[in-house]
Amino acid sequence: MKLILKLIQSHIVLFLTGVFFLLLETIADLLQPTYMSYIVDKGVQGKDVHLILRYGAAMLGIAAVGAIGAVMRNLFASYTSQTISRDLRSTLYRKVQTLSFENIDRLQPASIITRITNDVTQIQNFINGCMRIMLRAPILGIGSVILILARTPEQAPLMLFVLIASTLLITANMKLGYPRFGLLQKQLDRLNTVSREFLSSIRVVKAFHAEQQEEEKFRSIAEDYASTGVAATRIAAIFSPLLNLTVNLSIVILLWRSQTQNASEIGRLMASVNYMTQILFALGMVSNILNSAVRAVTSAGRVQEILEEEPVQTVPEQPQAVLVQGAICFQEVSFRYARTSRDALSGLRFSIHPGETIGIIGPTGSGKSSLVNLVPRFYDATKGHILIDGVDITQMDPEILRQAIAVVPQKPLLFSGTIAENLRWGDENASAEQIHTAVRISCADEFINKLPEGYETQLGQGGVNLSGGQKQRLSLARALVRHPRILILDDCTSALDAATEATVLNGLREEAADITVLLISQRISTVMKADRILCLEDGHMCGFGTHEELLLHCSAYQAIYTSQIGGESHGR
Amino acid sequence: MADKMIAPPPAMGGRRRGQPGVRPKNMKETLKRLLQLTRGNRQGLGWILLLSALASASAILSPFLIGQTVNVIYAGHSAAFFITLLAGFYISDWLVRFLQQFFMASIGQRLILHIRMTLFRAMKKLPLAYFDRKQHGELMSRLTNDIDNISVTISDSLAQLMTYSFTIVGIFSIMVYLNPLLTCVALLAVALVFLLTRTVTRHTGKLFSEQQAILGRLNGQVEESVSGLSMVKAFCQETHMIAEFESYNEQLRKVSTKALIWSGYLMPLTNVINNISYVTIATISGIMAAKGMIEVGMITSFLLYSRQFARPFVDIANIYNNFQTAVAGAERVLEILDEQPEPPDAPDALPLLKPRGDIRLTHVTFGYNPKKPVLKDISLEIPAGTQVAIVGPTGSGKTTIINLLTRFYDVNSGSIYLDGRDIRSCPMQDLRRIFGVVLQDSSLFEISVRDNISYGHKNVSFEKIQAAAVTAGADSFITRLPQGYDTILTQGGTALSQGERQLLTIARAVLTDAPILILDEATSSVDTLTEQKIQKAMRTITKGRTSFIIAHRLSTIRDSDLILFLQDGEIVEQGTHEQLMALNGRYAMMYRTQTGMV
Repeated sequence: MKLILKLIQSHIVLFLTGVFFLLLETIADLLQPTYMSYIVDKGVQGKDVHLILRYGAAMLGIAAVGAIGAVMRNLFASYTSQTISRDLRSTLYRKVQTLSFENIDRLQPASIITRITNDVTQIQNFINGCMRIMLRAPILGIGSVILILARTPEQAPLMLFVLIASTLLITANMKLGYPRFGLLQKQLDRLNTVSREFLSSIRVVKAFHAEQQEEEKFRSIAEDYASTGVAATRIAAIFSPLLNLTVNLSIVILLWRSQTQNASEIGRLMASVNYMTQILFALGMVSNILNSAVRAVTSAGRVQEILEEEPVQTVPEQPQAVLVQGAICFQEVSFRYARTSRDALSGLRFSIHPGETIGIIGPTGSGKSSLVNLVPRFYDATKGHILIDGVDITQMDPEILRQAIAVVPQKPLLFSGTIAENLRWGDENASAEQIHTAVRISCADEFINKLPEGYETQLGQGGVNLSGGQKQRLSLARALVRHPRILILDDCTSALDAATEATVLNGLREEAADITVLLISQRISTVMKADRILCLEDGHMCGFGTHEELLLHCSAYQAIYTSQIGGESHGR
Repeated sequence: MADKMIAPPPAMGGRRRGQPGVRPKNMKETLKRLLQLTRGNRQGLGWILLLSALASASAILSPFLIGQTVNVIYAGHSAAFFITLLAGFYISDWLVRFLQQFFMASIGQRLILHIRMTLFRAMKKLPLAYFDRKQHGELMSRLTNDIDNISVTISDSLAQLMTYSFTIVGIFSIMVYLNPLLTCVALLAVALVFLLTRTVTRHTGKLFSEQQAILGRLNGQVEESVSGLSMVKAFCQETHMIAEFESYNEQLRKVSTKALIWSGYLMPLTNVINNISYVTIATISGIMAAKGMIEVGMITSFLLYSRQFARPFVDIANIYNNFQTAVAGAERVLEILDEQPEPPDAPDALPLLKPRGDIRLTHVTFGYNPKKPVLKDISLEIPAGTQVAIVGPTGSGKTTIINLLTRFYDVNSGSIYLDGRDIRSCPMQDLRRIFGVVLQDSSLFEISVRDNISYGHKNVSFEKIQAAAVTAGADSFITRLPQGYDTILTQGGTALSQGERQLLTIARAVLTDAPILILDEATSSVDTLTEQKIQKAMRTITKGRTSFIIAHRLSTIRDSDLILFLQDGEIVEQGTHEQLMALNGRYAMMYRTQTGMV
């Protein structure tokens, strides 16, 4: 709620102007029945046509003022709510761009996306609604009560009854309804889960002939969902007609008590009946408003959570200047992911010379990716220091650090745009020649040239229109365009066949000899030709040296070697 | 007026007033078929419609009664009769509304359940080709949101349309009966509202679709840049991304503001028109009353009528719009029902008894798109008990062979024989039972380990499940799990590693005790040490069975009885490992590159 108030506050003048016009419009509406009662009580009873026309003209004037109010508040409400939501989206997006990986891991990308899109929309709808119906209904309701009381104070007990009864009904409805709708939402989630599971496992379902079993599972959840649905809607079915009845009976009571009324005040009675129907309308709106407010507050809470998120990593105030050459040194580095109890990496200690190619191998979960993620500071080491060319990376300007490093991840992430645009991510000012070299080394030229539009081919989101191998090659080319000092290849050739992989790696060796390369792979044949190989097991470094050295001294390496190459061949 | 006190949250991007709906292709036909679907629930629907009609009675008659009461009071008589009548009216109105909504709740939900199960039953019978072709997310929303939406909207709007038509006709008749002149004034207002609605929707239609398009682009940008944030940061593209976002964001604000302003005029301007008609009626009827042409109560009646008369007209356009969208949604659901299911078994299909596992393929040609064959004229003879390995580059058709054997797809030409019998003449259930399948992605379900292993079988003894796990080499890690065999696997299988999940799927295949085993890339996503464990399990279970193994890593399949090298849908080399190495062809080349012997 605080967030919503703050947002409104930032455009308080616009908001209040909107509310002012809303007030104007509502008051104009409220005055109509009163003037109508004048027509009846003074005009009709005095049989004064002239007077009736004068009151009519006044009502028309009031309606005109109301119309102006309506038009203006529409303009203000639309403009203000859209501007506020634009600002909110923008603030949120900028904030997300500053977060560290650890923050993102905690918040989950999917959830961040929903917050920027869905939750902002909820807040926007609420603010927009505030300036339209939400403030109007209470004003209308309260105004009606006041007008009835002002002219017929003797109806005070009746009005009190209406207010208390309707408050009770609305509260009871909320109290009983909300938990049921909450449960309904949960069951809908379950229905979604089973459907997703069924669809994604359809091959297994068919292979094991388990269609019937799946149907029964689906049915039991669908049935639960249906019966909760019945229970939830029935709550509304009980209370909403009761609310109608309350107001309607009040009209009856009003009429009953007015039976003895002076005939000259009949107009006042008619006005009161009119106001009662206004109150009914306002009450009908109240629960909608509460609903919308509850949703907006929940959304605001989720948005607030992101805004309050502190980037975990710190940026040095006076970064140390460094010209990156590519020497990397790990000094007793340990690393643990947040909220886990085991070190992903422990006590790593090694140095790499500029221009060296280092193969990194080890079983899944041994910490290969975690290790390379520390170099560009995607994560920070929990203990120890990492130096690049003698400077602790936490003392460097992160931008300069990352400019010097290019990463080719396991899953190639491409973005919508043309192939050329994607490649230029590496370096905006890359010359055509630089791009061509990069594309040639990564063996991407053959398929790019085959595309009808070549480099200008539009890629869908995530590069959906390319095959896995093509994406990997583009992602590699993008990294090479950057002309990095340090190149990180995180098992990025898995979708290439052996021959292409060999060509790519040979090309890299020849054309990028001065780049420090960290090369992760599952295949021993891939890392064998590296200058040195780092063998990881359970986050520990169990060997670091050339292929031959490791074959002699490192038992883990030997095991991998035997399993992949077998006893058939020895050496290259 | 307080029709829906607490409504479930509307779906994201829910349409607003004046927003265009999706037009159904064939409204009449779809409605007819929907009605057929409601068979068995129709009686309830009839009651709902009747109650809806009754619900309009109070709107039609109560203003008249109030007017009469005012007249009587004005004349100084006791209005007890009319007031009691009015009270009775209101109470019966309450009862009708309560019954209507109360029954609507259960009838609506029963209808939803019925349609949902019909759809699910149709879906489970569809051939795999359908699921491969369609986006799963889209199918999922058919099963969940779409159906809710269809049933609720259609039954709600039907009931509402019912109430409204009665209200309009009823009020109009009474107004004409009471006073034709004043009726004209009320009609004029309705006409104006109608005109206004049309003008506004004409403008908003285009604006809203424009807004939807930009919103789509903005959401796409957010999704892409947030889920790819690691790359954005690695390449220092934050500023670039922010600039791109800001430009969409500003565009969105501009067009949404415009759309909102236009659509926002509808409500308040309708209100203004209503006010003007109120004024006009008050003035004219006032003058008439002053001249003694009508009674005072008439003023009250008419003022109340004019309000209630205008409301349905404002809403009806909106309801019709929603209704159309729901019908279009129903069409998408019906489309699924119309899909060709898997071919039924031939009526004279003989059951498969004690299959041995001899497989013969004669001139098999197949393509997912018949114009682009993936397998070309394949002929093969595989005696029972053979271990067959299928290797070859990606896209050469390895998995396709498996898809044909299990009849996930049917051949375009040629035939596949099992123990000398065309597999298309076997009952589907029997055929699929003879295969134990381990697939590439170890798809497990969110149920207990035990139920996962016995998946597809009922009443399997725990001993059998455990025996299968032991054979697959999975027993040791299962017993180490906190709840052992009763551990529930969660999404992503946090408790288990990829290799362990794969071992579970192997145990699942073991339990089937099928004469033919299929292992499709069962070890592609695990490290080599786990692979060794899996391989050991595979060796145990393939003994004495016909088996098909697809593998990327050739070290896995070196000991197979028969290795098929597939390229571009043709078998280019076949034989044992030694034979193929001696042949020194593509297999030998691939083997050497993989083992680093180049």
